[in-house]
Amino acid sequence: MIKESKIRKPLILGHKTYGDITKDIVDPIMGETPKQWKIAFTIACIVALYGVGCLFYIIGVGIGSWGLNKTVGWAWDITNFVWWVGIGHAGTLISAVLLLFRQRWRMAINRSAEAMTIFAVIMAAIFPIIHMGRVWQAYWTLPLPNQFGSLWPNFNSALLWDVFAISTYFSVSLVFWYIGLIPDFATIRDKMVKPGWKKFYSILSFGWSGRAKHWTRFEEVSLVLAGIATPLVFSVHSIVSMDFATSIIPGWHTTIFPPYFVAGAVFSGFAMVQTLLLIMRKVMKLEAYINLRHIEYMNIVIIVTGSIVGVAYLTELFVSWYSGVEYESYAFINRFSGPLAWSYWAMMTCNVISPQLFWIKKLRTNLQFTFFMSIIVNIGMWFERFVIIVTSIHRDYLPAAWGEFKATPMDIGLFIGTIGIFFVLFLLFARYFPVLALNELKTILKVSGESYKNDNNKH
Amino acid sequence: MGMNTKYWSSLDELQQTAAAQEAMSTEFAREQSVENFLADDKLKETNTGRRDFLKFMGFSLAAATLAACETPVVKSIPYVVKPEEITPGVANYYASTYYDGNDYGSILVKTREGRPIFIKGNKEFGMDGGAINARINASVLGLYDGARLKGPRKNNSSDIDWNTLDTEVKAALASASSIRILSNTIISPSTKRAIAEFSNKYAGKVKHVQYDTVSYAGLNKANNGVTPSYDFSKAKTIVSIGADFLGTWLLSSAYAAGYMERRKPEGEWMSKHYQFEANMSLTGSNADVRVPIKPSQEGQVVAALYAAVTGSAPISVEGADKAIASAAADLKKSRGASIVVSSSNDVYVQTVVAAINEALGNHGATIDNVTGTNFFQGKDEEVRALVDEMNAGTVDALIIYGTNPAYSYPETDKFIAGLQKVKTSVCFNHFADETSSRCAYSAPDHHYLEAWNDYAPVKGRIDLAQPTISPLYNTRYAQEAFLRWADNNTEYYDYIRQTHNSAYTSAALKTDAQWNMAVHNGTFASTVSEAASTVNATAAVSTISISEALAKATAAKSSEWELSVYQKVTMGIGNQANNALLQETPDPITKTTWDNYFTMSPADMREMGLQTYIGQCDCADVIKVTVNGKSLTLPAFPTPGQKRGTIGVALGYGRGAGNEEIGNAAYQTGKAGVHLMDGDKRQTIGKNAFPFISFVDGTWSFKATDVTIEKTGETYSVATTQMHSTVMGRDSVVKETDLATFLKNKDKKRGEAEFNLIPALAVHEDVNGDGVINAQDKKTVDNFDLWRAHPVEGPGHRWGLAIDLNSCIGCASCITACHIENNVPVVGKDEVLRHRDMHWLRIDRYFSSEFETLEETKEQTGKGTIAAYRHMEDPAENPKTVHMPMMCQHCNHAPCETVCPVAATVHSNEGLNNMAYNRCIGTRYCANNCPYKVRRFNWFNYVTNDKFSMVNPAQDDTLRMVLNPDVTVRTRGVMEKCSMCQQRIQEGKLEAKKAGLPVADGAIQTACSEACPVGCIVFGDLNDINSLVNKKSQSVRAYHALEETGVKPNVYYMTKVRNIEPAEA
Repeated sequence: MIKESKIRKPLILGHKTYGDITKDIVDPIMGETPKQWKIAFTIACIVALYGVGCLFYIIGVGIGSWGLNKTVGWAWDITNFVWWVGIGHAGTLISAVLLLFRQRWRMAINRSAEAMTIFAVIMAAIFPIIHMGRVWQAYWTLPLPNQFGSLWPNFNSALLWDVFAISTYFSVSLVFWYIGLIPDFATIRDKMVKPGWKKFYSILSFGWSGRAKHWTRFEEVSLVLAGIATPLVFSVHSIVSMDFATSIIPGWHTTIFPPYFVAGAVFSGFAMVQTLLLIMRKVMKLEAYINLRHIEYMNIVIIVTGSIVGVAYLTELFVSWYSGVEYESYAFINRFSGPLAWSYWAMMTCNVISPQLFWIKKLRTNLQFTFFMSIIVNIGMWFERFVIIVTSIHRDYLPAAWGEFKATPMDIGLFIGTIGIFFVLFLLFARYFPVLALNELKTILKVSGESYKNDNNKH
Repeated sequence: MGMNTKYWSSLDELQQTAAAQEAMSTEFAREQSVENFLADDKLKETNTGRRDFLKFMGFSLAAATLAACETPVVKSIPYVVKPEEITPGVANYYASTYYDGNDYGSILVKTREGRPIFIKGNKEFGMDGGAINARINASVLGLYDGARLKGPRKNNSSDIDWNTLDTEVKAALASASSIRILSNTIISPSTKRAIAEFSNKYAGKVKHVQYDTVSYAGLNKANNGVTPSYDFSKAKTIVSIGADFLGTWLLSSAYAAGYMERRKPEGEWMSKHYQFEANMSLTGSNADVRVPIKPSQEGQVVAALYAAVTGSAPISVEGADKAIASAAADLKKSRGASIVVSSSNDVYVQTVVAAINEALGNHGATIDNVTGTNFFQGKDEEVRALVDEMNAGTVDALIIYGTNPAYSYPETDKFIAGLQKVKTSVCFNHFADETSSRCAYSAPDHHYLEAWNDYAPVKGRIDLAQPTISPLYNTRYAQEAFLRWADNNTEYYDYIRQTHNSAYTSAALKTDAQWNMAVHNGTFASTVSEAASTVNATAAVSTISISEALAKATAAKSSEWELSVYQKVTMGIGNQANNALLQETPDPITKTTWDNYFTMSPADMREMGLQTYIGQCDCADVIKVTVNGKSLTLPAFPTPGQKRGTIGVALGYGRGAGNEEIGNAAYQTGKAGVHLMDGDKRQTIGKNAFPFISFVDGTWSFKATDVTIEKTGETYSVATTQMHSTVMGRDSVVKETDLATFLKNKDKKRGEAEFNLIPALAVHEDVNGDGVINAQDKKTVDNFDLWRAHPVEGPGHRWGLAIDLNSCIGCASCITACHIENNVPVVGKDEVLRHRDMHWLRIDRYFSSEFETLEETKEQTGKGTIAAYRHMEDPAENPKTVHMPMMCQHCNHAPCETVCPVAATVHSNEGLNNMAYNRCIGTRYCANNCPYKVRRFNWFNYVTNDKFSMVNPAQDDTLRMVLNPDVTVRTRGVMEKCSMCQQRIQEGKLEAKKAGLPVADGAIQTACSEACPVGCIVFGDLNDINSLVNKKSQSVRAYHALEETGVKPNVYYMTKVRNIEPAEA
């Protein structure tokens, strides 16, 4: 058995046994649906339905129902897309990168972080599809064999790279997440008494029997998938950033975008994980598993990535001045002093200044403050994308073509709607799926569990 | 054949059944008759059960329903007898003439399969080189307007037939003791003859009064009853006091061409143009020296010029002395080769102007005031006398032809009141408009594209108009009405022939080669004396003495606020208010659409606390302006260059205030695309400013003093297509220089002149060979390339445009031409407000900032970078202006092409950036990545979406006939943009191929290059070294917009050269 240093704080608090872990996770699934869940789910459904309504309206009437115009061809659509993709970053980072780095604290949070990733990527995928003028031809972006004289997509286009990047990321994340779920589904199946549900979980668990051979394969597959997923964590947002970086527009055409976008994505992803987990640990009474140590670690990641993002913002400003290109320099002057400067300063406040407060230990271990900050960071990251996209194109090369942008109810409705759909999915997950990787947690119980650790230390 | 094999054909035959035996006995199978079949008893035993019945019913119903679900087949019916001259798919052109009392143009009408769809200038034979303007170009839409009167009407309520109308009108005329004809200036000899015949029939009772919507009576009177003609191509110095002679004044479209001939810096000499005016006009925006003055100062400026030219005691004019002195000096240097014009309708001011021209020897040289033109013969006091007569109830019958006084007469109420007292009134207007709907009889005339006519614009010239389509509705020539009422049953066509050939009989139709040639050319030299201006006697300046004129001209008192009314280049006098295309064409100066407004100096507006930034969310403040007890509430619009303390307002708006049927596009639509309502009436577009015109000293005056302004506290959205006015010191967008600098660099190669250097980047290599690598080691941008070059030079075509910023006057003809040619949707005010106008070609209008560059601004104002940029956003108080036509630049390294995920926009091997609508999925990435922002997205299905039913011609059943069948009407969700008129290139290439010759330079014209009255846009093959466009592209003035981006456009711009001293630059 691995011995953990006694000065390390335990990851599982209290006196938990293997059985306790199973009970803590499985009981809520088997029990009655709590009232709070029903209320939350109803609200989420209403918001989601509103979003779906907007979606159909937009498809039915046209992109003109958004506030876009001849100068600003992308605004909320691509902002939301990048925002959701960014959020979808944390899950795979936690499960893959942290797995490779043997960070055991990930085990308490990886399941829901991955679920969040999957759902966020689904939300993200809505936007590039719906933003097309002719949605029904969306499949033309895929390199499918065809009879249009064998017409292929344009492999030079960053938008096409996006199609591949997002779909690859989504499928790998989904498989990774599901593989991890299999042993836990099996546990639920074994505990479940209601026959219908038992059948349900038995199908989901793919006949897992818990044999040593299964476990060996499980571990191997996890490792392989982690190996595949790790580069994806960096590639997805790098490629998304290339939509902008490979263009000619001042403010978009920036070589630091790939690392800056990845850092930003991790930043927003962790913030979203914080938002969700802080609620979940309270409601589902998982304080023993997701404790202050996890929260603090995640806050540290937020400080680091937030600082990277901050440095990137300053670098952009510096380069725009240093380059001597008048368009470039005006683009950035316009960002912080032009008609949309409020969005720039909202971004700076939320993303650069506020995360620095986490240097204070008291604040980063304060749950209410962490929750508040997680929301702030996500608002800031939304503005970051808005600033990059809209303030850059609304005043580019020809002053005669400079424009403005005003969001319409459809812009806002669809965005709120995706938040609704996201929560519908996440609530279903929280109700019917094991929210913690219980079998994985059991592997560290004897090493990092508070009571065991103390017991061990007695010897 | 020893074999005894028997072959059988069926089992029945083998077995020799009864049926087989019977069948074999007859040679042919017997058909069973219906009777036999029905008589078969077995049939009675078969039963169709209820279920079977329902099944059959269900099947039939389903089958019928499915059959009905088929997409409707739009049938195209072939000709039974194909007209010889019509080949489907090939356009025919017919020479004709446009005249509406205000604009005149020799035109070629393009027809496709019998439908007129496009109007261009008749450059070969037309008057003044067939120069036309946006209003004439767009007038083709008026033909198809579904709101036109479909036939004669009585009391604007009951439809009657022509015979009834004729009988009733003739009865009324017979009993009338005074008959009045009110028309615009008639320049058609045949029409004049018809009216004369009518007058003879009712001899002693008839009086014909000519009424010009916008009066030039002052000019006419001051020149002894002659409306002079001007030759701007001979003028070395041009001084205009308020006259917008490039946009709307007199025969502006013709003047523009002559003017531009002498604005080319490469020419022998370049004219110098001074403009003194209150409103920033199109002409003022093109002037070398523009001096803002108050309307009340016009007379003083003219008097001061007179004094300076003749050397009498100098007169001082506040704020204009320096400019007057230099203008006078230039005028004196170019005696006999200069022009002084004024827009004033004051006969005294015009008398002084004529005296200046006389003193300079311009009469007979640049100005013809002896024969002059036949336009604008209206006498203001006669019209007023007629209105008084009407109000006195002494007019029994009034015939109104070609004019709409119930809208445009300055004292509208008086006219309408008078009209009601007239016993019998007849109106020939096309619509049941303000006048026609108030007349007893509406007798709609043919549209000009449906009719024959002849015009005598100047002495010795007859222009012909010919029908290009048979009349769409039950309309009739107004001239035939005059003839019928005079008991003459001649057809108007024969009547025209008789006018010009008294020996004519209708049998001569086919054989008269001379006439056929005249119809083909649209014109012929006239020998008929009446073509000459009849009134005129000897060459003389006005009978008014110069001292009296000077005294009266300088008498005008200035006041704190003054107002002048003007015509917008797009709307003119408002006779085409129902033309959605013109409504959506932005005004060249303010770039606004679908409204009129009070133009004000931004400085004044800031002082009054009015909104000076107008955008989607920033509405204009509405102000109430009162003149002589008449007031108008309209939004105030900031217009740099407007003289402080003055207000301008455009005529031609506020049509249909009485909810008349004048066309859907004449009324304002809102967010949902339905008409906005004012109570139970549809809301007009803008408001009628004609009542601001007042009667002073025997003429209508277009200016007013003692104006009061009140803020109303209300706001109003004004839709503009360009929100930002200054170029922000970006010298690679527009380049300009002064004439002296240009002449110094004239013989250099492109990119070497100091005013037009190709941008260079510092590189890490010792370029200049001084042994040190530093910022001075630069290479020009054409050395850098990220992409594999498209094969742009060498064999084959490479289509390109050369656009001369020096020539572009900003008149918007190219915008309307492009719009019609390419079926560009009209989207309405709300969409323009959302910055979604669809213009493939726009004209960017830049006003200069107070200081040109960022450095200069920082230095002069002592501000930091951010504040300095803010400062540059505001135009100077009297800015210099540049008009820059901007369309797809067809970049050889197009940024749009690389980013399209589905390769919907690709480069052709002829240098064009093609757009495959069918492939486009509408990601808009291309539009975002376009540095010129020229791509336009189909935000809605403009052809079916209800929001556009009132404005988009493609949604109207008849109006859609104007669509060009050669160009796809784009669907929702695809990107579109300038194609360099691909369809025309293709047509031109095919023509050349059929002829077995290379494509001749100039044989292919894009819609914009064809419509340009001043030759600013030149289209051609850049690979053809002898082509004009190639030569222009090599010129020292040629540059690419945003050259440093390295996109390598196929559109070249030519540096603007101003005829000013370097110090003024």
